[in-house]
Amino acid sequence: MEDAVSENIERRRFLKCLGASSLIIAPLGCSSVKEESDANKPHYVMVFDQNKCTGCGECKDVCNVTNNLPDGKSRLIMEQQSGGVVGSACPHCGKTDCDCERKYVRVSCQQCKNAPCVTVCPTGAAHRDEKTGIVTMDKAKCAGCKYCIGACPYDARFINEETDVAENCDFCLNTKLVNGELPACVQQCRYDALIFGDANDPNSYVSKLLRVKDSVRIKPGFGTEPSLRYIPIVKLGV
Amino acid sequence: MDGTIDFTMGLSQGIAWPWPIAVYLFFAGISGGALATAIFVRFYKKQTVNTPFYKAAAVISFVTISLGMLCLVLDLTNPLFFWRILVYYNFTSVMSIGVIALTVYIPLTAIVALLALEEELRSIPALKVLLPIINKLKAVRKPIEVLVLVLALSVCAYTGFLISALIRFPIINTSVLPALFIASGISAGAASAKMLAVSLFKEDLHSQDMKLLHGAEWPIMFAEAMFIFMIVTSLMTGNAGAQSAFAAFHSGEWASVFWLGVIGIGFAGPLLLNFATSKSFSHSAKAFYASGVCAVTGMMCLRLFILYAGQNFAI
Repeated sequence: MEDAVSENIERRRFLKCLGASSLIIAPLGCSSVKEESDANKPHYVMVFDQNKCTGCGECKDVCNVTNNLPDGKSRLIMEQQSGGVVGSACPHCGKTDCDCERKYVRVSCQQCKNAPCVTVCPTGAAHRDEKTGIVTMDKAKCAGCKYCIGACPYDARFINEETDVAENCDFCLNTKLVNGELPACVQQCRYDALIFGDANDPNSYVSKLLRVKDSVRIKPGFGTEPSLRYIPIVKLGV
Repeated sequence: MDGTIDFTMGLSQGIAWPWPIAVYLFFAGISGGALATAIFVRFYKKQTVNTPFYKAAAVISFVTISLGMLCLVLDLTNPLFFWRILVYYNFTSVMSIGVIALTVYIPLTAIVALLALEEELRSIPALKVLLPIINKLKAVRKPIEVLVLVLALSVCAYTGFLISALIRFPIINTSVLPALFIASGISAGAASAKMLAVSLFKEDLHSQDMKLLHGAEWPIMFAEAMFIFMIVTSLMTGNAGAQSAFAAFHSGEWASVFWLGVIGIGFAGPLLLNFATSKSFSHSAKAFYASGVCAVTGMMCLRLFILYAGQNFAI
């Protein structure tokens, strides 16, 4: 009996709320034509599987060549976080000879859905590509003010000293994707540690992967909604 | 999944905005602060003549904002790209909105300087050509002054909004920054305009205008100190990122810039010079210039500290 009463109240309250909120939401829905079309647009994501990465660094090398970067500049670097490399100390335990699991993290543009670089860029040089939704650069518009570099919560942007303009990893938008190829790093990785695809396509490999694997995003507290996802090594040793 | 994965390295290699930006923030603050004070005094006391303080503030605001622009342009990776900021706009960018404000503000400071220096320009034969222009501008002097007063304060605040948009840095990413920069801009701007008024435009050290400005100095300085105190406490009691940035106040070389430059020279300097010395000294020209220089130096140190310590202590 008691249950029936509370259920009734709940239902009534639910219907009331539904009516009221539809009045508020409906006009909003009408105005946001942009949001609806977003469903048909791709959302390119990259997944970095820390369990598979060996830290060989070939992703970085091929990126530098593909995107024609000057010496000492990279759109991506691998941060070694633990595990011994012969001759150097483990960043985790400090010993030169240790049993720590070898652990690397990909450091590159996180391709935020809510990208501070795009918001702060005074000229619109840092922008979202119309077709792919990828955050990229219009080199002809960049004034070199470095506002985007300071604004990036991931410190993932830099100045290319040859062109004097800011750059970021744009998934090889103009060097590979434009030809229907995968990003250079993804093609190069011999250990399948990098997976790239359209998360809005339910049949894509990356969508299927994200459905079954636990993946995390870096510094989600900034509210930037990054498109790079990481499958971390969770165990700390046997 | 607390802290499951993160990285600490970055790609930019060093801080994005070095000292020329701090100098630019400094000059923009002085320009806006000096002009806002002068126009406020003019309206408040219903002045119709060009007072020495008004002249000095007009000259300072135009010169400093021009120098500030120079710093800004020279800090671009390629100064020849400057035109791009003027041609392309993005209205979600604080910098872009600031550029619009500055493109109105800078010509107006030049106009105010022309109006203020009418008598001086009259005495130089080569500049006689400007006199018909000045006469035409006189008709719209009041609306120009109202507009420039609003813009001067906006420029001061803008320098704060500009950098507070950098969310990675707890010291910089605070809502108090625009208010702090208005207060410190007014105190240093007024101090520099006072010094120029006395030295170049022969203002009497104890004139009515000077007395009014001396009186206004302390409340503004108190507001400035309060804003700094708010930033310090919010960092001290804030989240992990804020707490780690709080270290900027007690460790590293920028902590000494803060304690010696901002607190020592900027706040304690003028206070000691005015209240801890004999009346004959505190009313002398020496004390007047010394405390003015202290205020301006303190403001520069504040900008340097906020920018460098801010960018060094990233989350």
